[in-house]
Amino acid sequence: MTDLNKNSNQPEIDLEEDEIIQDWSTVSKFTNDNPILSIPKRGEKDYEPDNTNTQEILLYRAQKAMFDTLENSIRGTIIKNQVKAYYIHDRHVGWIPHAKGNFVQTMGETDKEGTLWLHYFEFLYLAERGTITPFWKTNNGIEIPLSIEDLYSFFKNQKEMDDFAIYGYLKRLGFIVKSTNDCIISQNKLSFYPSSVSKSHCINILQNITSIFNKTYNSLFNGIIFSQWHFSHMKYTSSPQIYMSLNRLISYNRAPNSVKELHHDYQFHSGNIESSDKTLQITFNVWKPNPTFKKKFPELPDFQIVTYNKNINDQKFPTYKDLQHLFQSLNYKFNFLMDPANSEFWNRNTYINDIQRQKILDDIDNNPRNKGKLPKKDTNIPENSTNKKQKPKRELPPHIQQLKRLKNGYRSFLLAIMDNGIVSFSKISEADFGSENVWYVPPADGQKKPVNNRKRSQKNKTKT
Amino acid sequence: MSKRVSNTVRYKYPLPIHPLDLPQLFVHNPISWAYWLYSYITSYNALSNKIHVDITKHNNFIHIEVRDLADMKYLWDRGFFGTGQLSRSEPTWYEQTRKKFQSSSDGKSNGMSLERVTKLRRKQRVEFKKQREIVEEKLLQLRREGNLTPEQEVEILEQERDKLRKFKDDQASLHIMDQDEDITEQENKRLLLQRSEILDENDNLLNLESLQLMPVETIFLSFALPILDISPVDFISKCCLTDISRYSEDLHTLLIQYAAYHHYRSHGWCVRSGIKFGSDYILYKRGPPFQHADFCIMVLDSNCSKPYTWYSTIARVCGTANKTLVLCYVERLETEEQILEWLQRGQLTKVFNSFKVGEVIYRRWVAGRNRD
Repeated sequence: MTDLNKNSNQPEIDLEEDEIIQDWSTVSKFTNDNPILSIPKRGEKDYEPDNTNTQEILLYRAQKAMFDTLENSIRGTIIKNQVKAYYIHDRHVGWIPHAKGNFVQTMGETDKEGTLWLHYFEFLYLAERGTITPFWKTNNGIEIPLSIEDLYSFFKNQKEMDDFAIYGYLKRLGFIVKSTNDCIISQNKLSFYPSSVSKSHCINILQNITSIFNKTYNSLFNGIIFSQWHFSHMKYTSSPQIYMSLNRLISYNRAPNSVKELHHDYQFHSGNIESSDKTLQITFNVWKPNPTFKKKFPELPDFQIVTYNKNINDQKFPTYKDLQHLFQSLNYKFNFLMDPANSEFWNRNTYINDIQRQKILDDIDNNPRNKGKLPKKDTNIPENSTNKKQKPKRELPPHIQQLKRLKNGYRSFLLAIMDNGIVSFSKISEADFGSENVWYVPPADGQKKPVNNRKRSQKNKTKT
Repeated sequence: MSKRVSNTVRYKYPLPIHPLDLPQLFVHNPISWAYWLYSYITSYNALSNKIHVDITKHNNFIHIEVRDLADMKYLWDRGFFGTGQLSRSEPTWYEQTRKKFQSSSDGKSNGMSLERVTKLRRKQRVEFKKQREIVEEKLLQLRREGNLTPEQEVEILEQERDKLRKFKDDQASLHIMDQDEDITEQENKRLLLQRSEILDENDNLLNLESLQLMPVETIFLSFALPILDISPVDFISKCCLTDISRYSEDLHTLLIQYAAYHHYRSHGWCVRSGIKFGSDYILYKRGPPFQHADFCIMVLDSNCSKPYTWYSTIARVCGTANKTLVLCYVERLETEEQILEWLQRGQLTKVFNSFKVGEVIYRRWVAGRNRD
């Protein structure tokens, strides 16, 4: 509860801080809709020397405006607003006795005494931004100020440094980023799967039996299909029939695509998720910028990030098996199940320390001590109602939906690649072409073609 | 747009093996029943004559060619198999050349080949770029003289842009009329020279083009849909140079390539070589005349791990071409010895049955564009 109380006090403090607003008006004059009057944006290609000083003058003016503005700004920290943070070397974490500032809402963990504990990457990030002033506290209580250079020397290994760079990059863009593991004070297990899922084994056995049965059936069937004379004695009356006889030859990995299948897949594999230092693991949970983020009871993240350094020799790009392990250990808002904005669905399918998030939220709402917090809840209500307004979306035609499924895939994670300080991302998602059929059905000569009844296959309608 | 209509007729069958063409059945009419039954019994799916392929080997490369004009057309129209050696992909060389000769002698041409449309478009593009350069030069000149306020410059720029836009529109409308102009004196001379090489004694045009099949297409057309006059097992051993007594790297690659090819083909995709986009295959939903391919496929062994640059390079190329990159991992479920044994006994079904396909989509992700 302590951090909630803190949050409610937050706005007043912020106001005071924000009173000293930097005056950017002179600089903003240079952002103009007209490309000739404004300085070219970074990365714009239409910019080359033309032997005139037009561009030079423009750049000079913009630069001058920026320098002039900065010269008049207030430098340093006002003592009253200074946030002192301390580094604990043994535990490699930072702590702030009385944290104040916007960052408290999304960063670190607050204990019962109101102390904010920070992961090292969070500590360094805040120090770098000038939000906190880092200190080293000696045993006899002397505070030694730390420089950024000092802080960088505390990195334990290359990976930690890479992770920090990736963290900082996303953070500066406004994302909410938290580490997926090693919590500092409390274990807050955020999961899509309730722990009861990983118990039963009967279904596994059943599934094994059916899969063996399927396999023998298929091999028997294929023996008949792929013989030289097969098409002389078989009678196929439609192209889909021919396709369906062909597509049993190569088996494929099905991607789980519903809540049930995901739970099933989870319990099937929960035993054998092994991890070693060599294999890649999910490092960060990432949420899109969200003013109503609840640090203590977060929603499932929007993305999950695996960090990877391309230049470390013993770190290989994941093989298919590694990728599957990663897919199985994912825990985010699987956006192929439901629109991430549907908070009702996600609250029901989010478990925090094995308790449904919906239940936690209900408990908070029903707690008489929180009655005074009703206005806070109000901020949630309009959000929900707008969701409902948006809901009646246009249903897309089946072949477009299918193409979307194929293009987006199912479970996915972001691979953050570090290459000598340059961060780039790629999205890696599980795809399933085997469950979709796209064959063209020629216009019927008289009779209707049978619609195949396989679960997820959509009859293709390329011709409209 | 009369072309669309003819396309639906021309590409009616998605595979070279047709379903039975049965007459319409009227429930209340017993004669139609009898006729239907008769048709059902007498017709069959298989081709009456198998298509002949020539297989030649040059050093390490194998050439699989279909030379007969009708067969080439048959394979292209039903599933878009193979590539014309002298055309872009559809074997159109014969038609093109015939038309060219006709038009050079008659002075008029009937219709335009796709290759010529592209050529014309490129020409127009070059012309447009020239015009644009002139405009830019003009503006720069004004700027150098120095008596131009930014506001004036904007105005002039806007005027010139309008002119350019109009120029482009005019070009587009001229599109059809422009077609004959590029047959110049020189072109005519070249044609005359060519003529001697490609006509027989009776002045008939020789077909110099053949349809080249990929090895995987050949396996598909001899094993899954047996319409070629070769044995798939012999072909596989021929492909791998060494006999199939050893499980070589070549053999493995061929097998996983085929497993992936068959996987996509059998789910209805039109699979063609993706070499233009640096990938193994590209997937068309129906075929090249209908829409652009949406997917690039890279076939990999499931234990494969390449350097990161490899992935990013391909993803970048596919991304620029507006295609989704799919990494298709093929897993071998049986031992090498087992597969070799089946191959030697000619049990290809069992061989391919022991491969399993898993897919992963790889896409560049930009943080700034995914914030909300």
